[in-house]
Amino acid sequence: MAGENKNYKIVCENVSKAFIQKGTQRVHVLEGISLEVKNNEFLVILGPGQSGKTTLLRIIAGLETPTEGRIFLDDKKVAGPGQDRGLVFQTYMLFAWRTVMGNVEMGPKLRGVSKAKRREIAQHYIDLVGLTGFEKHYPHQLSGGMKQRVGIARAYANDPEIMLLDEPFGQLDAQTRYFMEKETVRIWEAEKRTVIFVTNNIDEAVYLGDRIITLKGKLPGKMDSAYKVDLPRPREHTDMQFLELRQRITDATQLTL
Amino acid sequence: MGTVANEVIKPVKVERKLSFKGVITNEYFLYVVSFVSFIAIWHFVAKAQLLGKSLATPWEVIKELGRMTQTTLAGKTLWGHIWASTRRILIGFTLGAVIGVPLGLFMALNKYVNAVVKPIFDLFKPMPPIAWISIAILWFGIGEPSKIFIIFIGSLVPCLLNSYNGIRIIDEELYDVVRVLGGNRRDEILQVSFPAAFPALFAGLQISLSIAWTCVLAAELVSARSGLGWIIIRGMKLTKPELVLGGMAIIAIVAMGTTLLISGLEKFICPWKRGIEGL
Repeated sequence: MAGENKNYKIVCENVSKAFIQKGTQRVHVLEGISLEVKNNEFLVILGPGQSGKTTLLRIIAGLETPTEGRIFLDDKKVAGPGQDRGLVFQTYMLFAWRTVMGNVEMGPKLRGVSKAKRREIAQHYIDLVGLTGFEKHYPHQLSGGMKQRVGIARAYANDPEIMLLDEPFGQLDAQTRYFMEKETVRIWEAEKRTVIFVTNNIDEAVYLGDRIITLKGKLPGKMDSAYKVDLPRPREHTDMQFLELRQRITDATQLTL
Repeated sequence: MGTVANEVIKPVKVERKLSFKGVITNEYFLYVVSFVSFIAIWHFVAKAQLLGKSLATPWEVIKELGRMTQTTLAGKTLWGHIWASTRRILIGFTLGAVIGVPLGLFMALNKYVNAVVKPIFDLFKPMPPIAWISIAILWFGIGEPSKIFIIFIGSLVPCLLNSYNGIRIIDEELYDVVRVLGGNRRDEILQVSFPAAFPALFAGLQISLSIAWTCVLAAELVSARSGLGWIIIRGMKLTKPELVLGGMAIIAIVAMGTTLLISGLEKFICPWKRGIEGL
């Protein structure tokens, strides 16, 4: 069964999730999600609020177990979180008591990497996300965009094969958001990983994704459609083809721009 | 590296010219004005005997305190009395913190410990520590142990409550970060629970300390032959307002010192925390 999935990095097989609330009530969050992600592909999952996209990402990260269905990474069934997947949180979730360096080196530190070695790894990713010179700053001294750079560097420094990003720029202002989207592409092109990027922003999805999968809202979230984004990078938000694709997705979903 | 985050933090030194308006609106200047006016008003109210003979002038208070550092009262100089109270505080407060903080942490981290300890703790929590004075004297006599016991009870409650709540209010997603990075339960506790609870824990220590001072005074007012609380009572019995006021001033200064000590410790242990000014 699992052997058929050889070409794919991640395979979700008919994944459903229901939470049990207050003892008796079952809340269906996801229903019948099946998708495949190729190695080093940038997949965007696009859906409105309350479409279960964060839950899907948490299931792939191994933080939640699906009620039905299975997830495979390189043909191995996912059971719990692992170093092969890095997660970037919508609300940054930095350790307020650690400096930028302390946050970024956390993954290698937990794996028992020696201090000199993990400092070297962390420095590499701090440089990559453009925070050189801010190593000794604490999170409260950074702006929102910079905080999320730390979040991205922290996930990268653990050397995952897959990067999972959960609406990472949802809390940023429009200007910083554009800038961070550009940076995301730059970082991804410098250090290719398989990426699943969750967002509710069509423009962001078209700008970033190799492929876009849309989810239908109100709970439970279901698969809607898939779009291949065949635009060369770097992309322009005002490019004709860009705008056409954006319009196509807008017309097909309940999402507004 | 070519790219840098689109923001840079630069230290800037603001130069201000000396002007009349600049001086009178300077906050340090106003501190001095405020303090000097307070002393002056106090002096004139005492001098004019607006409150009868029951208010000593600031200078009389200082003279009395100076005299007490030279002569003994009940066998102790002023320094001896300060040390008597401070020693009680240090022992009682340390006991309260050493037992209260770990107990609070354990209660927050382990639901079984919580289930065993919480009902009893909730029963004793609302009781003011001073309510324990009489029973403490019955149990331990009028010596040091009964005073230390009351301070211990008073310090225990805020230490326990704050370390408990400090862990309870941690965002669950922070634990997810550790799990995603490959950490286990032990890593979650060491890397998230403890450091995240530190600020609340220190707030608890500060509250405990101020309660400890209340407790030591109450205990010394009831029964003692030494300590700052006893000096105040002594002053009242001898109708020496300068002794009462001097004792009060010394208490304020010593209590401020112990508070600063804890603040300093917190700054040392939690350098990431933004200071709360004026507390």
